[in-house]
Amino acid sequence: METTGHHSEFLLLFHNSDWHQDLSPEQIQSTMSQWRSWFDGLVLQGKCRGGHPLSDEGKVVSGKARAVSDGPFAESKETICGYFFLQAVDFDEAVTIARDCPALAYGIKVEVRPVMPTCAAAEAAHLAGTATGELAAATV
Amino acid sequence: MDAGTPHTQAPAASEGREVAGLTDHLFRQESGKMVSVLTGIFGLERLQLAEDVVQEALVRALKTWPFYGVPQNPAAWLMQTAKNLALDYLRREKNFREKQPRIIVDIEQRLSAGEHRDEPFFEDEIKDQRLRLIFACCHPLVPQDAQTALALKTLCGLSPAEIASAFLSSEAAIAKRLTRARQRIQEQKIPFEIPSGADLPPRLDGVLQIVYLLFNEGYKASSGDSLIREELCGEAIRLGVLLTEHPAARLPRTHALLALMLLDAARLPARTDGDGLLLRLQDQDRSKWNRGLIFRGIQQLGLAADGAELSGYHLQAGIAACHCLAPDFASTDWPTILSHYDQWQRLDDSPVVALNRAVALAQVHGPQAGKDAVAAMPYRAQLEGYYLLYAVLGEFEARLGKPAAAAAYFRQALDLTESASERTFLTWRMRQCAAPAPVPVKS
Repeated sequence: METTGHHSEFLLLFHNSDWHQDLSPEQIQSTMSQWRSWFDGLVLQGKCRGGHPLSDEGKVVSGKARAVSDGPFAESKETICGYFFLQAVDFDEAVTIARDCPALAYGIKVEVRPVMPTCAAAEAAHLAGTATGELAAATV
Repeated sequence: MDAGTPHTQAPAASEGREVAGLTDHLFRQESGKMVSVLTGIFGLERLQLAEDVVQEALVRALKTWPFYGVPQNPAAWLMQTAKNLALDYLRREKNFREKQPRIIVDIEQRLSAGEHRDEPFFEDEIKDQRLRLIFACCHPLVPQDAQTALALKTLCGLSPAEIASAFLSSEAAIAKRLTRARQRIQEQKIPFEIPSGADLPPRLDGVLQIVYLLFNEGYKASSGDSLIREELCGEAIRLGVLLTEHPAARLPRTHALLALMLLDAARLPARTDGDGLLLRLQDQDRSKWNRGLIFRGIQQLGLAADGAELSGYHLQAGIAACHCLAPDFASTDWPTILSHYDQWQRLDDSPVVALNRAVALAQVHGPQAGKDAVAAMPYRAQLEGYYLLYAVLGEFEARLGKPAAAAAYFRQALDLTESASERTFLTWRMRQCAAPAPVPVKS
């Protein structure tokens, strides 16, 4: 549904790659089903435009020397294990959605980050041909 | 006994709504099958590995299915994923220590062979492997309290927290039992087989006890919000059926246990009202009792009567049959029930049996006789932390026309149970007794 209302974009970042560690098969199935209904519901309402789980493995590239090191990058509690790309009316709605995450009781943490919109100053900068790299990265 | 220990109650477990394409409790049921099959392939000394890869396969589903959808054959997906994880593990292990490469190649072949098997043949093999695993878990060299914990964990897919609530124990204590059980299995080189000959009957008793405990856990629902954890009862009945269908395990007491479970399960649908609140036997709508299960139960009781054996399961099934066959509460055959309890108490001097006998006694000889029986009970002190002791005494006092004493007992019972429906019921009874009744009723 096309609306003329203002919408903002958000990323929900799920932290804690170990949250499911001590779940029983019954709890795993039940949480899996709830998460699926939650995600499907958001997609159907047009509030979620994509999302994926992330593998626990990874590489980190850093420094002048472009050094490559193996993940995990942080403690497992901090590791990002998945994300949703949301389109919400405002920050409050995005936070409300995050509060529905069925794994909160098991120790998952949901970070809600607004995707920065373009703004007048940025437009100006863009026209001036500077800082384009950063902006592009933020809106991917 | 630390009945008061609060256990971590998973909020998600009870309110989970299943999505299309997934059978209820599929994960729990499949995990038991997968652990059995993988143990058959790896050997019992690698039981922990089988459990670990199964858990990991379930977690993979949890991570990916919400995003990509539930596969067409979820059970096959889980089994294949567990096998692949096991293969990965073996290959890694092979790289690290070039030990027994032939065995690993053999296992690799067997793991991949399963993929193309005919479904019916495979089902039969699963049954066999599950029975082997039951008997291995209940091997006499494994400490008995650890046997039950291990079987519930490996065969029935219960977590240590869930097992802890079944045993009124702590999660840490259960984890310790599980570790001990797995160690014993390794140290003693316990075989993965179905015992035969004279070995069978004593081994079977341990197995039946586990099935019985599992059923009771579901039936009495000692904690949590759902009064009747029917799924646990269903799981126990499934194991019972598995045992009665196997020529090695098909003894009269096996049929008696299955009869008992079927006859009790038949009454589950009437045990709660529309709001999920507990209903006493006299308040239940007997038309809701499951006639099909009663029929199957009576059939099993008939098979159990083959031979002279009389086990506690026979007597309990006999009691359940008396209830199931009574058209209404008033026509219940209490004298027969009481005589079953008398015999049962001679076999088992547990105070819980004595408490139940006191209830039957009160039905035959009045509440004062019931009260006296409780007072004279052996090992009564063991029940001091058991809410039903006080609930029963409360009912006796209420029937004796002593509402204040009854209310005090219901209060005590209330403090000792965590189950929401039991608490609601006890609160209701307490208020009934505490408020002066407009018309005093004497029984």
